[in-house]
Amino acid sequence: MDLEIRDLHVQVEEKVILKGVNLTVNKGEVHALMGPNGSGKSTLANVLMGNPFYQVMQGDVLYKGEDLLAMAPDERARKGLFIAFQYPVAIPGVTMASFLRTAVSARRGYSKELIPVGEFQKILRAKIEELKMDPAITGRYINEGFSGGEKKRAEILQMALLEPEIAIMDETDSGLDIDSVKIVADGVNRMFDAAKGQMGILVITHYSRVLHYIKPDYVHVIFDGRLVVSGGAELAEELERSGYEGIKSQVDVIHSEVAASGAVRRAGKVFWVVH
Amino acid sequence: MISREAVEAISARTGEPVWMREQRLAAWGVYESLPLPDPTQEEWRRTDISGLRLDALRALVDGTGPVAAALPPRAAALAGGEERAGLLVQRDGRTVQHVLDEAAQRQGVLFLDLDQAVRQAPDLVREHFLSVIRPDELKFRALHAALRTGGTFLYVPPGVEVTLPLVTSTWLNTPGAGLFPHTLLVAGEGSKVTFLDVFGSDGMSRQTVVSNAAELILRDGAQVRYVAFQDWGANVWEFGLIRARLGRDAALHSLIVAFGGSLVKTDIESKLEGPGSQSEMLGLYFGDGTQHFDFHTLQEHLAPHTLSDLLYKGAVKDRARTVFAGLIRVHPGGQKTNAFQSNRNLILNTGAKSDSIPKLEIMANDLRCTHGSATSRLNDEHLFYLMSRGLTRRQAVQMVVDGFFAEVFDRVPLPRLGEQMQQEIGRKIAEL
Ligand SMILES: Nc1ncnc2c1ncn2[C@@H]1O[C@H](COP(=O)(O)OP(=O)(O)OP(=O)(O)O)[C@@H](O)[C@H]1O
Ligand SMILES: [Mg+2]
Repeated sequence: MDLEIRDLHVQVEEKVILKGVNLTVNKGEVHALMGPNGSGKSTLANVLMGNPFYQVMQGDVLYKGEDLLAMAPDERARKGLFIAFQYPVAIPGVTMASFLRTAVSARRGYSKELIPVGEFQKILRAKIEELKMDPAITGRYINEGFSGGEKKRAEILQMALLEPEIAIMDETDSGLDIDSVKIVADGVNRMFDAAKGQMGILVITHYSRVLHYIKPDYVHVIFDGRLVVSGGAELAEELERSGYEGIKSQVDVIHSEVAASGAVRRAGKVFWVVH
Repeated sequence: MISREAVEAISARTGEPVWMREQRLAAWGVYESLPLPDPTQEEWRRTDISGLRLDALRALVDGTGPVAAALPPRAAALAGGEERAGLLVQRDGRTVQHVLDEAAQRQGVLFLDLDQAVRQAPDLVREHFLSVIRPDELKFRALHAALRTGGTFLYVPPGVEVTLPLVTSTWLNTPGAGLFPHTLLVAGEGSKVTFLDVFGSDGMSRQTVVSNAAELILRDGAQVRYVAFQDWGANVWEFGLIRARLGRDAALHSLIVAFGGSLVKTDIESKLEGPGSQSEMLGLYFGDGTQHFDFHTLQEHLAPHTLSDLLYKGAVKDRARTVFAGLIRVHPGGQKTNAFQSNRNLILNTGAKSDSIPKLEIMANDLRCTHGSATSRLNDEHLFYLMSRGLTRRQAVQMVVDGFFAEVFDRVPLPRLGEQMQQEIGRKIAEL
């Protein structure tokens, strides 16, 4: 198993956000994660990358058999974990070009010096072209003054350059226009195919549209800090038609039963494992 | 030790004219009569010089003629890799290397050791030397005027443009010495020149004092880029003054870079005397260990339609402390002026400290003036973002700090200097 999340509990400051998440993502698989606003999707993504802002209270995460939570963020990245952030930060004064060159060097195992400029430029140009981006972006400061869509594309550019083994895309499709969703999805599919089974993807999204392009093998629903439903690609369509209300009422049923007896429960599609 | 006899010995050694000898002796008298700056005075309140031992300083009186001594590799590196039209290297106030492009020579550019200039172009030197700075302003200025050795005289005739930079590299070699380098730059009407004033030393085994002074004289329409780059070793105390006078429509672009020394107190002043004159004042400093840097800047608007635009950015680390005090003074004659001042500090760890004190003295009523200061800490979200792409914490910090300084780098079209600054910044961060 390549990424195995077991009973993960996470809090921010005093607030508990993830309340026992279980999920396994293997290379060669595409997973989708859906769920209402505030249910903990970005929290999960951030905690997997090691954002110091979030505290893991319980549970573990194994990445390629190793204790992921014990690693610093840079080590996780160098070992092939990647997140396309929902809200990438702007860093004044640091050009995309110098940042990307340093990042690519780190991922490719250059320890002292950086990847030769010529070689890097070639790779960079190719990826920029694939993603139909404006080459001028490399001279700009990281995310500074980028439009919403430019930020999302710049995240995918980084993903393409760093060739991750497990990639998490946190609402990359939000904020992209219709054509851009397709361009980005094509780019991601190309990476996935080129990796020949050596890459797994977790797509966090609110919309089934992107899942028409990036076809998930599994769809999971997160609700109030727990994965409560898993299914195939059709689940995304169903959710989009019916919304989260149906799930919410099923969750409420289980909630009261669990409170009463404490056991494994199921109500309709929703299951809940008590640990 | 420094003394009246030392003043006489230095004067005799350089074989200078009587007027300069008398100027030195008068300055020595002033030095003896003036007290050290009063620590309760606003300007000196934040910089403690009670550990200063001027009496113990060694005067650099020995020897005559140029010294052939080899410079340490760091001194040579300090002169930088910028393509240049001329280079003057001085060690302990004496010239060890001197070159000037033939083209510049033909144009009548004088780029000389100041001691040599006094003999070679006595009238020009006499007219301008100590015309911008007075020995009786401060005890350190008097000491400087009395014991000055070497320094640079740069004269650019009217209408002459020197495209490549001229560089003076001032290397301090003797622990316990007092070094008093002087830069006298005269840019004639409509002339154009770039001058890099580079200073450095190794770490000193005991307190070593530099009191340097630069007089920058820009005639009408002159355009000057002036860079002072200092990388003193430990135990060096610097008391410096850089003061410019700008004629009508003259434009000065200055950059002060400070990395070294134990205690540095430098004043940087622009006097906008001619209508339409402009002064860009940039500063970049990085204090670590227990370094103490104190910069006082003055943007003095004496004429209408003048512009000053100041940006000083500094980083502090370990237990270092920096002070920036910037004054904008607009005289009644300074109508329709623009004066901007901005100071930004980045604190890399708790224990390091930056003060920023903007001040305004406005005696005109038709002008635009803004000032602002901000002190920030390393942003954890920035570091996390960079690290999430595989950069080590050190690389991430370096990137954020370089990014912080980029606003200054980007305004100085001297790429090699930019690299040199980045290297020095990297060296300081490596010890984080
Ligand atoms: N820094 C923070 N301080 C306080 N609360 C936070 C913080 N970050 C997240 N939260 C809270 O944690 C909960 C989960 O947030 P998270 O960003 O993981 O949701 P999400 O599922 O990604 O939502 P969305 O679909 O809107 O992106 C929310 O209630 C949010 O307000
Ligand atoms: Mg989110």
